[in-house]
Amino acid sequence: MEEKDFILQLLNPKTQNSAFQKLLSDYKRPLYNIIRNIVLDHDDANDVLQNTFIKVFQNLNNFKGDSKLYSWIYRIATNEAITFINKKAKISGATSGELKSRIVENLEADTHFDGNEIQIKLQKAILTLPEKQQLVFKMRYFEEIKYEEMSTILGTSVGALKASYHLAVKKIENFMNKD
Amino acid sequence: MKEFKINDENKITSGFTTPEGYFENFTIDLQNNESHQKTDRKVISINTKRWLTSVAAVLIVAISVTIYTKLVIEKTEDSIEMENYISNHSDLSQYDLITLLDEKDIENLSVEMNFNSTETEEEYENTNEIENYITE
Repeated sequence: MEEKDFILQLLNPKTQNSAFQKLLSDYKRPLYNIIRNIVLDHDDANDVLQNTFIKVFQNLNNFKGDSKLYSWIYRIATNEAITFINKKAKISGATSGELKSRIVENLEADTHFDGNEIQIKLQKAILTLPEKQQLVFKMRYFEEIKYEEMSTILGTSVGALKASYHLAVKKIENFMNKD
Repeated sequence: MKEFKINDENKITSGFTTPEGYFENFTIDLQNNESHQKTDRKVISINTKRWLTSVAAVLIVAISVTIYTKLVIEKTEDSIEMENYISNHSDLSQYDLITLLDEKDIENLSVEMNFNSTETEEEYENTNEIENYITE
């Protein structure tokens, strides 16, 4: 089905529900993963995922079709996740970096994390990166999102994304290989 | 320990998991969210705002006029009350008044009490109690 037809189905009250169910089943897993990688906690990721779908539904009328539906939805999800973690940090009187460090330190106790020592170390290594590099690294390494798609989601050129990922990889490898 | 290389075959996963059946049970109630949104956000149009401002302005003017009028009436009532009080309860004697009044006040009084001498004479003639007047 053409993307335009699918959007029309989402906007038509008669076909809206079934179209939205399809949107949910197509996007819930990849969106959850990208959100979880940003907010780190499962319950928070669940809240952000809910908000993302609600925002997508509420703003479908404003979707102009300049970018792909996929990029638009991913952009909403990343923005929601970043806004969420910043707000949460502000409420707890810390920076988002400090908050994430706290969460990573407690990952072993998280019932929804079954990683080993190396995985925890990788999370710690990611935290040493600047915010944007963290996002680029997570999207590329964990989610394997192509640079072209990432470019439309984040509004950054492919060249800048590649450079950012390359720098991130260097820093992470250094961190992982020390000690 | 083997050197870590990001492009290794054995890729490291994030290690994040979800509760069992999380994705299968993940749903969003659009109807509830829609109605929730409607009750949550009240949109006030610019015209309504203008209308409200006009009503507020009219009310302010009405209240101000009422308060002002009330104050003026109270002031008048006060002065009448004060006059009555002085005339009924004051210990001021005529001598006190004379000492308190300056020349200008006395001049004003004399202007106000400028009786016609002929009228006064006629009044005296027609009144039997002239003695009283003289002694007063």
